[in-house]
Amino acid sequence: MTIGQASQPDFLDPALSYTIHGWEPMWTVYTPLVTYKREDGKAGSEQMPGLAEDLPEVSDDGLTYKLTLRQGLEYSDGTPVKASDFEHTIKRVLNMESPGAPYYEVIEGADKYLADGNADADISGIETNDKTGEITITLAEAEAAFSFALAMNFAGIVPGDTPFENMTKDPPPGVGPYMFTKSEPNREFVLARNPKFTADTIPGVPVAVLDEVKTEIIPSVPKQTQDVIDNELDFMQEPVAPDFIGEILDRFGPEGTEEQRYKEFTTLSTYYFFLNTRVPPFDDPKVREAVNLGVDKTALARLFGGTLEPGCSFLPPEMPGYSEELDGEGCPWGDPSQPPDLERAQQLLKEAGAEGAEVTVWGDNVDPTPKVTQAYADQLNQIGLDATPKIIDGGVYFQTIGNQSTEAQTGFLNWFGDFPHPANFFFLVNGETIQPTNNQNISNVDDPKINKELKELGKEPDLPAVTDRWEALNEYLVEQAYIVPYGYRKLSTFMSERMNFEDCTPINPIIYNDYSQWCFKDE
Amino acid sequence: MSVPSQGEEAGASGTEFSLDSAEELSGDPAERPGLGPWRLTGRRLRRDKVALVAGAVFVLVVAACLAAPLWADHVANTTPEENHLSDQVTIDGEKTDVVDLRGKPIGPTWNGEFFLGADSNGRDIMVRLLYGGRNSLVIGIAGALGTILIGLVLGLLAGYYRGRTDSVLRWVLDVIWAFPVILLGVALGTALALGGLSIGPITIEGDSLAIPTLIIAVIYIPYLARPVRGQALALREREFVEAARAQGMGSLRIVFTEILPNVSSTLVVFLPLLVANAILLEASLSFLGAGVQPPNPSWGTMIAEGVDRIVTAPHLTIVPGAMLVLAVLSLNVFGEGVRDALDPRAKVRIEH
Repeated sequence: MTIGQASQPDFLDPALSYTIHGWEPMWTVYTPLVTYKREDGKAGSEQMPGLAEDLPEVSDDGLTYKLTLRQGLEYSDGTPVKASDFEHTIKRVLNMESPGAPYYEVIEGADKYLADGNADADISGIETNDKTGEITITLAEAEAAFSFALAMNFAGIVPGDTPFENMTKDPPPGVGPYMFTKSEPNREFVLARNPKFTADTIPGVPVAVLDEVKTEIIPSVPKQTQDVIDNELDFMQEPVAPDFIGEILDRFGPEGTEEQRYKEFTTLSTYYFFLNTRVPPFDDPKVREAVNLGVDKTALARLFGGTLEPGCSFLPPEMPGYSEELDGEGCPWGDPSQPPDLERAQQLLKEAGAEGAEVTVWGDNVDPTPKVTQAYADQLNQIGLDATPKIIDGGVYFQTIGNQSTEAQTGFLNWFGDFPHPANFFFLVNGETIQPTNNQNISNVDDPKINKELKELGKEPDLPAVTDRWEALNEYLVEQAYIVPYGYRKLSTFMSERMNFEDCTPINPIIYNDYSQWCFKDE
Repeated sequence: MSVPSQGEEAGASGTEFSLDSAEELSGDPAERPGLGPWRLTGRRLRRDKVALVAGAVFVLVVAACLAAPLWADHVANTTPEENHLSDQVTIDGEKTDVVDLRGKPIGPTWNGEFFLGADSNGRDIMVRLLYGGRNSLVIGIAGALGTILIGLVLGLLAGYYRGRTDSVLRWVLDVIWAFPVILLGVALGTALALGGLSIGPITIEGDSLAIPTLIIAVIYIPYLARPVRGQALALREREFVEAARAQGMGSLRIVFTEILPNVSSTLVVFLPLLVANAILLEASLSFLGAGVQPPNPSWGTMIAEGVDRIVTAPHLTIVPGAMLVLAVLSLNVFGEGVRDALDPRAKVRIEH
């Protein structure tokens, strides 16, 4: 079968890739020690053992993680998997300045390893025994989300002799249902069924159904969409072109006139506007409240062609700590599915004396952001501010607004969660992480209560026990109006006629589309 | 104005007004020799109906764009920036979403509100078209005038003084000339849109219309300065310049009172063509995101914003595209008419 994808994935190397384009295919090639159940819906966000025999055994102080590698594992090229390969895998992530490195810097000795700059040096916090397969990881301090870091694509184990360089042109072998057989950057890459992988290799990870999955780079999304409609392409990576959504829903949607081959699913993501609390007028809580009151979330959702679920919460649905109440009557700024209370917003802004304050609204040039930015600027004008949108190139966007000297007042942001732990969202509003450049806490939220809670919750490995505290924290963040969350993004799966859409397209909340489970109709 | 007698001019190159071109039409009593060159041009132009119609069309476009606030305030009751994402309009007694839940904007209603439909943000296309036209025309005309002003001075100085002045100026112009127009425009546009421009006490914001105007003015300088320089080079050897020098006139005075009037016909021919090219370049740059910055409308940005909805909402691209064609085509046809009237032998082209 053939897949269309608009751009070459950032990397086809588990140590480096940090995009859905790279991760979706790589989930089927590289398996970490811990992974997620290959299930549709909520069940899929539960962890299960991957290359390890069991989930990690965590010491009471939360500092030591013990795992044992499964016996008799082999990479797709036949090399046996060794426990020490895990340490090599983590070394590659740290040494190659991967965007994933921060997740593993909490391991004891990782700082020293990085500072020394010697790729082959030892990381003192990782002890491995190739004979017994035992792996012991010691952390410098307790980290609640570390077991999720172990299940990330970055930790997908590769052989111990994999070079410390970007392997996109010749991706290393892994343990998974598929293996890369061809990778020509900007043209295509091919996955073929891994002959070494059987149903017993990792119980719970099924063998690939299709022999081969070829991904072609087709820059035009409208062309991809048309090709899938015409059955010339079997699946498209990107969401369908907005121009076609209406037609596709009418014909191929759940209530379409033809057989279903299109569905939408909500992702672990939040779209929000930042309000820089260090810069006027947003240093005044009243102004921030006015903005939260005045933003028309249903209007913004239309700019996404209906692929945005309007919301009020920072933590998205499916994330522990999310509460449904916040997305209805419980939202302090009014039900997100209803028009905003403009009069109250205008009144509040007047009280704050910020009427007519000049505001620059930042956004990047990647569709639909320019439209959203302009609509948001217009909504700010409706409540009485004097807002002007500023659209800059996507390549320099985060660098620009993440620089304190830019003093970016407000603008477009979104975050797609990497794993189902609220810490993966809340680091974005942690006062301890504010930096002069490359800042990720663009609102400069520095609230003692949030900082204190994050410090405590960040050490608590038992998430279910503290979910209610996360829930309270999420509510507090929304009430303080530091940011303006307005919705959760939906992605879509759209396939050709020959695919068995009904039975073979589970959507895992972390992995999204699981390539290995797809099947044709007659097979 | 000191226009030399026609006899003196014979045989000069370029677009100068010459005896030959007057003689070609000497059979016509209206164009008997002795009539002033500008009046002669006017008479010829009046006979060129196609050019006149084109000129009238352009004037109409300009007039419509100037009337943008009237349309916005009294007919459409909105502004070019106002979003109407969750509003509804009544068509044939039925309430219809301006932008439906799937993001598809309404098409032409042929009523006052949303006469030509709405864009993806629920903004009135007609209002944006008129305001966008204002921006496009202002940038085009101001850019072309800027080019003429700078190009003329540089060309005259280089041609008259020759030597080192000429070498330096030519070298600078060659550097600009060496870049493809669009590439240079995009490079300057994206750089300046981000940081704005500040020269001494003057600061121009990144989203100001002055930025694309300035870029367009600079890019086209060599296309004007080169032919002017060529003419100045030829003119400075002519007898009337020698005579002026013999009278004791200073160099600068000779340049601006003796040579300048003789290249003025070139400028008149160049102006409409330059404006048409500048409008096109503005549209290209805006389409690529390096020209007019949102939320300011321009025909180029409107096309760019509508291009991803070309199947379900073709009016988003067709309407501004048609206006662009109308304005540029009418101006080009009119410009050619002016050129023919002024000097049928002249070969004025702006080549990229």
